[in-house]
Amino acid sequence: MKVKVRFFARFRELLGTEIIAEAADRTTFSELIKQVAQKNTEGYDAIFDEHGHFREYVILMRNAKRIDTADAVRSIVADGDDIAVFPPVAGG
Amino acid sequence: MFSERERERYKRQMMLFGDEGQQLLKKAHIFVAGVGGLGSPVSLYLAVAGVGTLTVVDRDEVDQSNLNRQILHFNCDIGRKKTESAEEKLHAINPDIRIRAIDTTIEEENVADLVGDADGIVDAMDNYLTRYLLNDVAIKKKIPLFHGAVCGFYGQATTIIPEQTACLACIFQKAPPKEVFPVVGVTSGVIGTVQATEVLKYLLKRGDLLTNRLFLWDGMQARGEEISMERNPGCVVCGSWETRGKRL
Repeated sequence: MKVKVRFFARFRELLGTEIIAEAADRTTFSELIKQVAQKNTEGYDAIFDEHGHFREYVILMRNAKRIDTADAVRSIVADGDDIAVFPPVAGG
Repeated sequence: MFSERERERYKRQMMLFGDEGQQLLKKAHIFVAGVGGLGSPVSLYLAVAGVGTLTVVDRDEVDQSNLNRQILHFNCDIGRKKTESAEEKLHAINPDIRIRAIDTTIEEENVADLVGDADGIVDAMDNYLTRYLLNDVAIKKKIPLFHGAVCGFYGQATTIIPEQTACLACIFQKAPPKEVFPVVGVTSGVIGTVQATEVLKYLLKRGDLLTNRLFLWDGMQARGEEISMERNPGCVVCGSWETRGKRL
């Protein structure tokens, strides 16, 4: 199945704007984003901590609905999902 | 009512919203937290639009490295208090409004008093600790919070209406780590102008506000997008009284 992953802000600089990823059946959100982020170590480290958990400020959206990062390790992606991954921007 | 000078100054916008709209702006009081990159365009545009009272708060002095984006401050202002510089410029650009410039640090102990009877708060800060304080006080006073933030060529903005929309703590439950962020002045200009537009629409009671939507701007790609947001019923700031009680 095909799933769209969009990155924003700093994540976009490191991992690209929009990636169409091929996902196997029963892939979780967490697994999919790891798979996509692995191409750039800095990008991966910006999203995941040393234990492979989402960093606490990362925001995940699925088809314009928020997903709790704690649920992302259990929730399964579906064909055609549009996933957005972004950090809060902080400067003023 | 308006003087001849005011009528002439606001003529082109009174074509849009008339005496009645201009009066709504004139009687309004907006609190601008920070007169740096975002606070500069926000306060300038609110001043020239004729928002009657602007309270601007900042604790810093103007530094050379501010001048690529903080357009309210000039080279000759280096070393001066930002509030002093801001008051002078805003008064010079529109002598018909009232400027309250307060040189202090926004903290939990003083934020409610600083905001006072303002009709809305503009978040032009550079850190989430203070942003959360502004969010708390906006919820408590039931006044809107106009959020904006920038990094490099990226920016984000949203408008928070207490009891109606997602608040800052619903959207950003955890703050990102503190860092010296890269920024180019034009990004502060884009986001600050979005925030100022939101303030004017709110005061004029016109248009659709940027509520329950996070506007994301990518200047490098010249692309604006938005992401829908919802209230978090378990939010420790704006959730049910029961949830809020647990926080205390």
